[in-house]
Amino acid sequence: MTSTIEMSTVAVHSDAVLAEPRIRVRGLDFFYGANQALKSINVDFPDRQVTGMIGPSGCGKSTLLRVMNRMYDLYPGQRAVGEVLLDGANILAPGVDLNQLRSRIGMVFQKPTPFPMSIYENIAFGVNLHERLSKAQMDERVEWSLSRAALWDEVKDRLTASAMGLSGGQQQRLCIARTIAVRPEVILLDEPTSALDPISTLKIEELIDELKQDFTIVIVTHNMQQAARCADQVAFFYLGELVEVDTATQMFTAPKQRRTQEYITGRFG
Amino acid sequence: MPGTTDHIVKSYDNELKRLAALITSMGGMVESQVALACRAILDRDTEAADRAVAADPQVDALEREVEQFVIRLVALRQPMAQDLRLIIASLKMTGDLERIGDYAANVAKRSRVLQQFPMPYTLSGLAHMSRLVQENLKLIIDAIGEADAEKALQVWRSDAAIDEIYDALFRELITYMMEDPRNITPCTHLLFIAKNLERIGDHATNIAELIYYADKGEPLIDSRPKGDSSSSAVVRPRTAEEGGR
Repeated sequence: MTSTIEMSTVAVHSDAVLAEPRIRVRGLDFFYGANQALKSINVDFPDRQVTGMIGPSGCGKSTLLRVMNRMYDLYPGQRAVGEVLLDGANILAPGVDLNQLRSRIGMVFQKPTPFPMSIYENIAFGVNLHERLSKAQMDERVEWSLSRAALWDEVKDRLTASAMGLSGGQQQRLCIARTIAVRPEVILLDEPTSALDPISTLKIEELIDELKQDFTIVIVTHNMQQAARCADQVAFFYLGELVEVDTATQMFTAPKQRRTQEYITGRFG
Repeated sequence: MPGTTDHIVKSYDNELKRLAALITSMGGMVESQVALACRAILDRDTEAADRAVAADPQVDALEREVEQFVIRLVALRQPMAQDLRLIIASLKMTGDLERIGDYAANVAKRSRVLQQFPMPYTLSGLAHMSRLVQENLKLIIDAIGEADAEKALQVWRSDAAIDEIYDALFRELITYMMEDPRNITPCTHLLFIAKNLERIGDHATNIAELIYYADKGEPLIDSRPKGDSSSSAVVRPRTAEEGGR
């Protein structure tokens, strides 16, 4: 009996009611030089839930991800107009401390990007930029973040070995560990599994499910099934516009917009 | 589904067309099975009864074929949105059609037994009911082929009329049984026949709901007007105060 009751009360992620927004994007335009890549985007990212962003190449989904931690600041000629509000404060405002912003909003890229140093130092490097920790505190932080990234058991006996010796899936989990080591509030994932095999992909997806207890997660993916598996909310972008955003269940069973329907059923064009 | 563009992968479209063709041919088969069963009772046509019964294994085989095809489609294509709704609706429709076929075969079998009895009364009520059921069935099978939610809605709404006739027939047949106990055997068969036809109507409305959901993406949720009150006909169930249980 007990198990029946437990089964019926387990919340299925895609059925979840969307939480209060942690990030609100309002009237966002983005330009690569004269090229407008995002057109008046308004979207909310619910707190400690997963938002999947889907759409064909060049639709603007990765651009939006890059705006959310001001990655574009590194490139001349790229500019954003509008507001991205994290807890009500506009992160696009001129006075924002980018180092501090990026410790609050972490990012994981498509290809694993470990630093050419030991596994331990990969984690410690980012933490040292923001915090002064004792050796014992740092050890604890490294273990915590590697455990949260489901990598600890695999690497605990070789923390001083080069991160370059890890498999692709392990490297990607190391990058996630490195991101969460600075204890951000939001994690941005840009096609985090596109270079991984199916089993490594599932491990990352399981990890995403775990991490959303503590972090607000935004994931860009080309894999529709992945969005269906991971996301609570799904946003569909096309040609720089947000076409539709809704719960994953609604988007994958009965989207309201024709273009969404055509895209997710493989009819595009 | 009409009004939408094709899939990028052509073979997926071909598979969906094949699924639609399977359901349509199953629908056609069941429709003629019901027609034969009705003719068997109303015209006392033994040959029609035999054909209705003989069609049943073919309908069952088609159901299995649709089921296997749907499992394959879900596994290999991982359908989404309208495709998913259509494929799941087809899977459920095939079950409804199979049940309709079973009811038709049962009606046909009972018609053979009825042949052994004189019919001292008219079957006009049953004839009327069978006409309505067949009209609805034809309409719903057309609606499947055309993915026409409006037509489906029309069938869904008109089922109440069938329920009302069933209710009237129920009372009529009980009256015959009360008049003369020799009527009990044929009238019981007629009652089951009427019940089977009424169930066929219900399955047609199930299919209507599936067509509607597949097309619109939302379920038909208003409660359907139900005309069948035969569960309390002749003898009203006692309330708690009257000592009923």
